[in-house]
Amino acid sequence: MLTLLEQLDKGSLWQSPGGIHPPELKQLSNQQAIGRLPLAKQFVVPIPQVGEQARLLVEVGQTVLKGQVLTEGTGFIYLPVHAPTSGTVTAIKAVASNHASGLPVLSCIIDADGYDNWCDLITSDPAALSNDDIITKIKQAGIAGMGGAAFPTHIKLNTASEIDLVIINGVECEPYITSDDRLMREYSNEILKGIEIIHRLLGPQRIIIAIEDNKPEAAQAMQQAIHLSKLPANSTRVTVIPTKYPSGGEKQLIQIITGKEVPSGCLPSQLGIVVQNVGTAFAIQDAIYSGKPLIERVVTFTGKNIHQPGNYWLPIGTPVAAALELVDFRPSTTQKLIIGGPMMGYAIHDPYVPVLKGTNCVLAPSNEEISPDSDEKACIRCGECAIACPALLLPQQLFWHAKAQEYDKAASFNLQDCIECGCCSYVCPSDIPLVEYYRIAKSALRVEAEEKVLAEQAKLRFEARLQRLEDEKLAREAKAKEAAEKRQANMKSSDKDAVAAAMARIAAKKAAQSNEANLQSIVKHDANDSTGVDKKSAVSAAIARAKAKKAAQSAEQFSIENNATQTPSNTHNPSDSVVEGGISQQNLIAAAVARAKAKKAAQNNQAITSDEAVNGLADSSTSDTDPSLNDKKAKVAAAIAKAKAKKLQQTEIASDSADTEPNEDNSITASANGAMAKKTIADDNTDPAEQDKKARIAAAVAKAKAKKLQQVETSNVESQLSSSSITLEQTPNLDSAVLDKKAKIAAAVAKAKAKKLAQQAEKKD
Amino acid sequence: MAFKIASSPHVGSTLQTAKVMQRVALCLLPGIATQLYFFGFGTLLQIAIAVITAYAAEAAILSLRNRPIKSTLADNSALVTALLLAIAIPPLAPWWVVVIGTLFSIIIVKHLYGGLGNNLFNPAMAGYVLLLISFPVQMTDWVSPMSAAQQSVDLTYALNAVFNSASDILVIGHNLAIDGSTMATPLDTLKTDLSMGMTTHESLAKPIFSGMAGLGWFEVNLAFLIGGLIMLKLKIIRWQISFGILSALFICSSFGFLLNPDTHVSPMMHLFSGGTMLAAFFIATDPVTAATSHRGRIIFGVMIGVLIYVIRTFGGYPDAVAFAVLLANMCAPFIDHYVRPRTYGHRSGS
Repeated sequence: MLTLLEQLDKGSLWQSPGGIHPPELKQLSNQQAIGRLPLAKQFVVPIPQVGEQARLLVEVGQTVLKGQVLTEGTGFIYLPVHAPTSGTVTAIKAVASNHASGLPVLSCIIDADGYDNWCDLITSDPAALSNDDIITKIKQAGIAGMGGAAFPTHIKLNTASEIDLVIINGVECEPYITSDDRLMREYSNEILKGIEIIHRLLGPQRIIIAIEDNKPEAAQAMQQAIHLSKLPANSTRVTVIPTKYPSGGEKQLIQIITGKEVPSGCLPSQLGIVVQNVGTAFAIQDAIYSGKPLIERVVTFTGKNIHQPGNYWLPIGTPVAAALELVDFRPSTTQKLIIGGPMMGYAIHDPYVPVLKGTNCVLAPSNEEISPDSDEKACIRCGECAIACPALLLPQQLFWHAKAQEYDKAASFNLQDCIECGCCSYVCPSDIPLVEYYRIAKSALRVEAEEKVLAEQAKLRFEARLQRLEDEKLAREAKAKEAAEKRQANMKSSDKDAVAAAMARIAAKKAAQSNEANLQSIVKHDANDSTGVDKKSAVSAAIARAKAKKAAQSAEQFSIENNATQTPSNTHNPSDSVVEGGISQQNLIAAAVARAKAKKAAQNNQAITSDEAVNGLADSSTSDTDPSLNDKKAKVAAAIAKAKAKKLQQTEIASDSADTEPNEDNSITASANGAMAKKTIADDNTDPAEQDKKARIAAAVAKAKAKKLQQVETSNVESQLSSSSITLEQTPNLDSAVLDKKAKIAAAVAKAKAKKLAQQAEKKD
Repeated sequence: MAFKIASSPHVGSTLQTAKVMQRVALCLLPGIATQLYFFGFGTLLQIAIAVITAYAAEAAILSLRNRPIKSTLADNSALVTALLLAIAIPPLAPWWVVVIGTLFSIIIVKHLYGGLGNNLFNPAMAGYVLLLISFPVQMTDWVSPMSAAQQSVDLTYALNAVFNSASDILVIGHNLAIDGSTMATPLDTLKTDLSMGMTTHESLAKPIFSGMAGLGWFEVNLAFLIGGLIMLKLKIIRWQISFGILSALFICSSFGFLLNPDTHVSPMMHLFSGGTMLAAFFIATDPVTAATSHRGRIIFGVMIGVLIYVIRTFGGYPDAVAFAVLLANMCAPFIDHYVRPRTYGHRSGS
């Protein structure tokens, strides 16, 4: 078993499947040496990368020299563009491109001055340059693959893969085209110099120059040049391969030379192989030794309607039409003008398109040379296409699915591996333009894939947006909560009291409403309204406020209370946490009670007051938070506690005789709070040792009594208070079963009583 | 000036469908000539009737389908179908037999499935099977080979037999049988004899089996083989299907023959009798109804070969080419689905 290198040295060849043998017709154009046509008057230099990865260095009206760089850019696949001759930039506009589509592309229009003056060229000796310098120079020279695909050469020569084999492609398998043939015959030494540079950059073990056996002169010239070159002995050889289309295809050539197949979707460099066109090797040599950028190439003008066929050096950017005028082109009425060969070339509609770096041939065939327009007939599944296919595809199946627009199925038959060589169309007995179907199917698949990617991106974007909105919402909530806590923390104790009081009041109201039936008559008296719960509560709230106001007024009239000298704003309430979590009524009540208690405690601490009484209240209030207590009772108690607190505060404020509260409502509520609290303290003072329940019942009863007293219109506050004390003593006798209702009634009554008190206070005035 | 635009490639081979079909028809000529020599002018009449009917039917159905008539008729596919059917049916079968068969082939089997390129079944064979099932008497009364019958079927006789039989099918059939101008095919005779307990040896002693594989039949098959080889040479057909059929048939019949020569006929008899060569080179190779990949075509051919042997040996019909081809036609899409060549750069299968 020979190693691959040995087989390469032996010149072993492998079979590439499929392929065809179309008439070569190379002798039309390869008979005379490469000529040079007179310079065109105007040049069109496409600058497609401008606006994307490059910017223009010239402007309209500017004079440029031959070889002057026109663009500047960065990016991996950026290639500089050079002026093909000296002259003036007359326009920068989009003009028809030399492409199958003919779509306009941004181009620099240069009017030649006819002098063809070079810019300064930097010649160099590659021996003095580093590899990176060479790569940079190749890039600066704008060298692209000259076999047709125009892939930037510096990328191919700067591969990360270990390269074992470089194949120099001089196969030129397309019929008609002879530009590489002539170049190899006439410039074999220059090409070898380019190959030396490639050898230096890639360091392959072997370099194979592949030439079809229909170009014996070229093969001979190259063979001689190898002997003259400085390449290591036996590293380079010319391998003549049998003429067959499409042997010059990169994948096919690799298969013929090495027997290996480039895996689908991979680059040859992954096999350690790089394929370079002979024209590219020539251009590399030109760029390094002479410093000339790639601004001209050999173009074959052929076809029977060109009466001076041959190969010509043409500056890149020469309009095809301008060159055709010089080669005696006599178009027929249904003339086709083909850029490239008859198998893979594309017909152009507009001849005023420029010669590009990859333009190797302009074919102007007579009508006899090309297949006539014939209607597509039914596929008879003869399978000739499959026999001809070099990629071993089943073209008839691809066609079947492509025509039915079942592109996914076409893809399942490996449509993407089609190299569009045209062999299947060539052999098709039914004149089916198979390649055209594949192109359409491929672009449809591409569009589909792009849409899929876009849809995927849109989905991600949408999901990201939802996530962002959710995050923002959470952040907002967290912020609001934090702010609320801060506000709570910074809030004046009076405000807190007000909030707590309001909450407790609402709870008490609810408790009262639940016993509406029992309360009705009393409520009627108190509120003058019994039509609805809402109204009642509103009214009772109003009453409470009015009551509080009255109490405040009365308190103002009375002598200054000894315990009310402190401003409540400095007092920090320890029960903040209750507000946060306080949703259930019980919690609210507890909070209220706790606050009231705290208030008392604060007062107790900061002023010298009737400590015992306050403590007693605090104790009883604390026990109210016991969860075993029933709700209603608790609420009642809370109401009382809150009222007490209000009164206390009211008293304080009154004694302060200065309005420090931020708004009226708060002041009123706070006043009420203070007034009530004060009153309750007085109540509680009378029986500090009572049981919790009893104490509460007593409080309720006291209120009821106050109500009754009010009904009989007692005119003395002191007598009221004493009466309530008496009633409190009686309370232990009451049946516990009726406590609830009574308590609620008492709560209502208490309010009324407070009102009366207030009135009385007024009267006292 | 503006130039004409077209998609690449801009050149093409000149071998068109019409030319392919024409060449197929031409390659049939040696076989047809041999058949005429041995079985008289009947075949020529059948061919004439079939071709006229086929073109008329195709034109009619194309106009109904709003398809271009002239260009489609010019593809010669109807011609090939008509020729194959006419060759396959007995030379002296009544005219309406071939007319019915051709109409069925062209209208129903071909055009109702979408016309050329879309038909699932081989039109000629489907037409043949329709006739064989519907008119078994007419379809199995084959003319005796000339030398055996000692009298020639001249044109007048053939005209008479083909066109005057309509009124009294059975009588004519019997008359023909009585006067000895028609008889069962060798394969039919053999089957009947075997079923009657005779050994192949005894059966083969009959005069009908003179020659390699039955008088006249061997020569006709040989002529079709020659025509087929010409087609191979011209690359009108590829070798896979024919090779598959013949090799499979040869292997199967060799096995049978070696196991029990008394009840199994020789591989030679199988290969050169009945419609074997016609099927192997002209019928099964119809690309429309065959598998498309190389391997698929070998499988397709082997399938037909095995089916021919199985039906001939164990089935109720003396010859099995038509059934085998139709059964394989049904499998062709299935084969195509599972048998795909390995594409360049891919490891295996798809």
